[in-house]
Amino acid sequence: MDKYLDSRFERVEKALATFIDSIAKYNPSEKLAEDLVAADRELAAGLKELERHQNNHARILQLRQETASLDQQTKDIIGGLWNMRKEVKSTPATQYPATGPKYQFTTHELLNYAKRISRTTLPPAHLLYNSEPSESQQVGGQGGQPMEVDSAAQTPMPGGGGGTATAAGTPAASAAPTPAASGPSGPGPVTTTTAPFSQPPPPPSANQTALPEDFKPHINLLTGYQFHPWPTEDKVRMGGMAAYQSLVSRAVDPKGYDPEEEERRKKEEEEARKEAEERAIREREEEERRMREERERMARERERARREEAERSGSISGPAAGAPAAAASSAGGGGRSQFTFLDGMDDDDDDDED
Amino acid sequence: MASDPMSVNSSAREPPAPPGSGADEPKYGGYTRFELELEFVQALGNPLYLNHLASRKLLSNPAFIAYLDYLQYWSRPPYLKYITYPGPTLKNLELLQQEKFRQDIISPDLVERLRVEGMKAGIDWHRESFPSTA
Repeated sequence: MDKYLDSRFERVEKALATFIDSIAKYNPSEKLAEDLVAADRELAAGLKELERHQNNHARILQLRQETASLDQQTKDIIGGLWNMRKEVKSTPATQYPATGPKYQFTTHELLNYAKRISRTTLPPAHLLYNSEPSESQQVGGQGGQPMEVDSAAQTPMPGGGGGTATAAGTPAASAAPTPAASGPSGPGPVTTTTAPFSQPPPPPSANQTALPEDFKPHINLLTGYQFHPWPTEDKVRMGGMAAYQSLVSRAVDPKGYDPEEEERRKKEEEEARKEAEERAIREREEEERRMREERERMARERERARREEAERSGSISGPAAGAPAAAASSAGGGGRSQFTFLDGMDDDDDDDED
Repeated sequence: MASDPMSVNSSAREPPAPPGSGADEPKYGGYTRFELELEFVQALGNPLYLNHLASRKLLSNPAFIAYLDYLQYWSRPPYLKYITYPGPTLKNLELLQQEKFRQDIISPDLVERLRVEGMKAGIDWHRESFPSTA
C-alpha cells in the first residue's frame, strides 16, 4: 500500500516540479497543468483507497478478535461438556433393572384404575386451590384434635374486620372475643384457643344475618379436614385385621370362622330353640288338658259310686237317710272345690226324690 | 397378622388368588387372605402404623421380614390394580425391604417427617401437575 501511495506522491511531485520548472522558465504549458491535476486526482483516489484499506484492516482486526473470543467460548463449552460428561459418568445413578418386567394394560383398565383411586389420591378442591393458610394448617397440625383448634382459631382472622364491624354496635359482642379481637393483650394463647368453645356466642344484633365467626368452623363440615394419602388409623382399626384380632383375643380360631355364617347359625339355633319352647308349651297344655279330663272322669266315677252307694243305703234305711247324705255332700262340696258341680246333681237328686 | 404362626416357613406361600378367580377361598374371620393382605399392605403406607409395628418389635422379626418380602407380589399385576393408595403403599413396601429403614422407623422424628412430607406431597403433586389452575 505504501508503494502504491508513494508512486502517486512521486507522480504528483514530478508533475509539480515540471510544472514549476516550466513556470520558472516562463514557459507554462497547459498540458503540464493538466498532468498535475490528474496526478493530484489520482493521489486523492489513492488516499481514499488508503482509508478503505485502513477500515478493512480495522475490520479484520475486529473479526480476528471475535474469532478468538468465539474460539474461547467454544473451548469453554467443550471443556464444560467434558467436565459434565465426567461428572455424569461418575454420578451413581439409580440402578433400574435394565430389562424390567413390562406389563400390558389397556386404556380402559387404566381409566378404571384412575377412577377408583381418585377418592384416595386426590385431595378435595379446597385443600388444593385454597389459600396458603389451609396448607400451613394442614402441614403444621400435629394430629386430629389440635388441628381442629388451630383452624377454629385461625378462620376468624381473615374475616375478622368484617365480623367486628357488624358486631361493633353491641358492647357485649366486642367483649365476646373472636381470637383476632382478643389479640396479644388478651388473656393469653391458651384461652384464645379454647375461646370458640367456651365463650357464649355474641347476642345477635338486629340486622345481623351472617353467622358469627365463631360458629363457622362448627358449620363447615370440612373444618379440620386432613387429607391422608394412606389409610388412617380409624380405617385400620375398623377393618378386617381388627376383626381378626378381636376373634383371636376372644380365643376363637379365625380360620374358617365366618361371622356371617356364625350369625346365620346362631339365628337358626335361636329359631330351633324357640320352636322347642313352643312345642314344650303346647305339650304342657296338652298335658294339663289331659289331666283335667282325667280328674273330671274320676270325679264322675266317684259320684256315680257315691250315688250307687246312696241308692243302696236308701233301699236299706229308707228316704230319711237321703237328707243327711245331701247335707254332707253339700258341706263337702264347699270344702273340695272340684266337686262343686255335684251340688246341682244333689239338687237334681233331691228333686227327683221329692 | 394374616400369616398364621410366626414361623419363617409361613411366608413361602403362594399369593392368594385375586377375586373373581372362582376359587373357593377359605375365610379367616369372614375375610379372605386376599382381603386381609390387601388391607395390611395398604396400612403399611401409614408411617404411624409402621412405627407401631416397629414398637412391637415386629420389624426385626425374621419371619415378619420374610412376610414383607412375600408381600411384594402386590407390586405386580394382577394385584397391583387393587391398591387404592398406590404411592405411599408401594414406596413403603420398597423401603421396608431395607434393613436400615426398618431400624430407623422407630424414631418419632422420622415418622413425623414422613407423615408431614407425605401429606404435603399428596397435595402438592396435584398443584405441580396443574399449575395453571392452582
